Amino acid sequence: MLNFATRRFGLSLLILFVAVTVMFLMIRAVPGDPVQIMLGPRATPELQAQLTAALGLDQPIWKQLLIFYGNLLQGDLGTDVFSGRAVTDIVFQQLPYTLELIFASILWSATLGIGLGAYAAAHPNTLIDRIAAAISVSFVAAPAFVVALLALLVFAVHLQWFPAIGAGDGFLDRLDHLVLPAFAIGLSWVGYIARLVRASMLEVMGESHVRTARAFGIAERRVVMVYALRIAILPVVTVIGVGMGFLLSSAVFAEIVFARPGLGKLVIDSITTRNYPIVMGSVLISTALFVVSTALADLINALLDPRARTAH
Amino acid sequence: MKIEWTNANIGRRRFLKGATALGAASALPMGWANRAFAAEDGVLRVRAYGDAQNMDPAHSVGVVEEEVHASIYNKLIQYKPGEEWGWQMDAATMIEQVDPTHIKFALRDDIGFTNGFGAMTAEDVKFSMERIVDDATDSPNKPDLGPFSHVDVTGEREGTIVLNSPFAPIWSIALPYITGNIVSKAAVEAAGGRIGADPVAESGPYLRDSWSPKEKTVLKRNPDWKGDAPAWDTVEIYPIDDENTAEIAFEAGELDVTRVSLGSVERYRAGVPNGGSLVEKPSLYYVWMGMNVEHPKLQNQKLRQAIQHAVDVPSILEAAYFGAAEPATGIIAPGLAGHRPSSLVPPQANFEKAAQLLAESGETNVTLTLDTLNKTTFTTTAQIIQATLAQIGITVEVNVLESGAFWASGDNENLQLVLNRFSMTPDPYYATSWFTPEQIGKWNWERFNSAEFNEIHETAAGETDVAKRAEMYQRAQDLMEESGAYRFITHEATPVVHSARVTPALRPDGLSLFRYFGKAT
Repeated sequence: MLNFATRRFGLSLLILFVAVTVMFLMIRAVPGDPVQIMLGPRATPELQAQLTAALGLDQPIWKQLLIFYGNLLQGDLGTDVFSGRAVTDIVFQQLPYTLELIFASILWSATLGIGLGAYAAAHPNTLIDRIAAAISVSFVAAPAFVVALLALLVFAVHLQWFPAIGAGDGFLDRLDHLVLPAFAIGLSWVGYIARLVRASMLEVMGESHVRTARAFGIAERRVVMVYALRIAILPVVTVIGVGMGFLLSSAVFAEIVFARPGLGKLVIDSITTRNYPIVMGSVLISTALFVVSTALADLINALLDPRARTAH
Repeated sequence: MKIEWTNANIGRRRFLKGATALGAASALPMGWANRAFAAEDGVLRVRAYGDAQNMDPAHSVGVVEEEVHASIYNKLIQYKPGEEWGWQMDAATMIEQVDPTHIKFALRDDIGFTNGFGAMTAEDVKFSMERIVDDATDSPNKPDLGPFSHVDVTGEREGTIVLNSPFAPIWSIALPYITGNIVSKAAVEAAGGRIGADPVAESGPYLRDSWSPKEKTVLKRNPDWKGDAPAWDTVEIYPIDDENTAEIAFEAGELDVTRVSLGSVERYRAGVPNGGSLVEKPSLYYVWMGMNVEHPKLQNQKLRQAIQHAVDVPSILEAAYFGAAEPATGIIAPGLAGHRPSSLVPPQANFEKAAQLLAESGETNVTLTLDTLNKTTFTTTAQIIQATLAQIGITVEVNVLESGAFWASGDNENLQLVLNRFSMTPDPYYATSWFTPEQIGKWNWERFNSAEFNEIHETAAGETDVAKRAEMYQRAQDLMEESGAYRFITHEATPVVHSARVTPALRPDGLSLFRYFGKAT
């Protein structure tokens, strides 16, 4: 297991390095002069030259990349030109908002999706199963931005049950502000997870250990929850790990539509203004999040299923 | 209970249990029904289209930061809210242009800076203005002060602003705007000469209480402010880029004031939710289609003039601006000195004349590219231009670019047609400054090169006779249009909605002056 964890950690570092390097090169390949955008149209050529030098943009790309990694190893992601604040401070100030949104979305969608899928699998071909199937497919098919706008119009504007914008102050207020965005980006995951759990459960329910458990007269509820669901849930763990990446990208539009702070909005704003230090800081952290979550999912899988260790 | 066409057995108990759970679940949010999102009495909630990140006026990048700076700092004079451009006293009790290059002022004696930095003095005015033109400050706002030289301090609260040459815009875009903010000399020096994301000392009717990046800025009433008390205890400023989101937030009762999209104007004209009101203000922005006169395909002036006559501005305004904007006559908006009552080329297309000019040009099989921003308004405009130019046999290929790439087009010699939009301050000097020969390769994307235009730009800034100055700027716009390099489209519009409890204080172009916002009675 230790050997597996070490190899997985090494692979994570490699993925992180490749992703960040590619992003570093891509953002510089996009047309647009960051200095001109940062200083605005009235800046003198001398001032533009000064800032270009200060940002190291007058250096060849390979040298800029080396400087970036050199600073990164010392924990320095640079300084934001607009506010003069450290990029690390800015990114870590926005990170909790995105994390809480992602975790809230995963939490509610996984809870409902697993429940719905397990229930449908335990009652195959019944009315409940068919309703669950219809609901799941509808949820998967509903585009998140449409759900977001409809949810805003119905629950924020018309009914005024939940707030429309912002992230709130204090624990309860923040929870309140999470409801609609988490609902919007988590809804399709409910359907996806439910379908996955149902299929996986049906497969497991036909396996010999489940038949044996039933033959021993163990209560059906216990058979489903302990003998079947524990194994059937394995693919969900992997999917949730990979799903972090999708949820990170969904968070971008949720943060825009709901005017929430967060990493996604920070990245979009920074790309528009070619604010390289912030773009790189945000990309580094979101890539790290994705890499860590997939690695964790793999580790959990390996812990639960010894075959996964050897497969790697 | 047995549902015949399925295998489902739903017993009475199970049914009741399910129904109760469902009922409880649906009733739960009812507790929130009609809960008040309306803010407390003293809290004004407004939308800004960006986040104010820097509290140093020398490094302000525009309106978003100025809206906060104007509330927490003072200037000698401030813009007056209303329909016509003008200014009113702020920190000054007296201000007078004694000759074309000298402006005398006297400060109020009751303005103090926070954090123990004492009373505002003429030294603070001198420091604030001189640091902007000082190269060591690296201020991108230096050009707004034009030929400003220095400030002579003649008393504790008296001084004279000295210009190297006459500069009319000092009254319209320097003193009442970004470069007019007065900061505390002692505080800035104590901070090492630069203000960052947090103000080092404030003096206005509001103080910045908190800033949650990308979420909101909160201004609270300054307890030591001795001037007219602002009506609102707290101003919460929400940075919302997307206009649709802002409209939803307004309709949900979470914002008191926001600019709305032109596409929503018709709906709000029919009625603003919750008893609110719609205010429609003209904008200072100018939108035009430019033609690069140096490009081999566009060097023929007759061809450019044919294109001018083939673009139908009313169709653009109807389709892309939803009929909520008026045609522009040039780069200077109505209400400003130099605005032309009409353009040389009428807004309506004249395809006969266009075809005749095209024939005179001798050009055939003309194919051109049109670069534009990736915003719906501009892509729609570009499509209409594409369709109307097709009527005289000119083929247009539209290149849609995201903002970073688009705004880097200044040095693009291959640019042909470009749909452009510039922002503006309330002085014609600001508008003409982008079209001088010096700006070719930077912001003069049409590469329009007129010595007469340049001469007008340089001399009109120093002209103090208002009528004469206006005439000069009108001639400058005639020159632009005669060159065939410009087809003026619109100045857009600024529709703003506000809740019933607010009396907004807006500049003539619809931008907010928070310190003057009132409460509806």
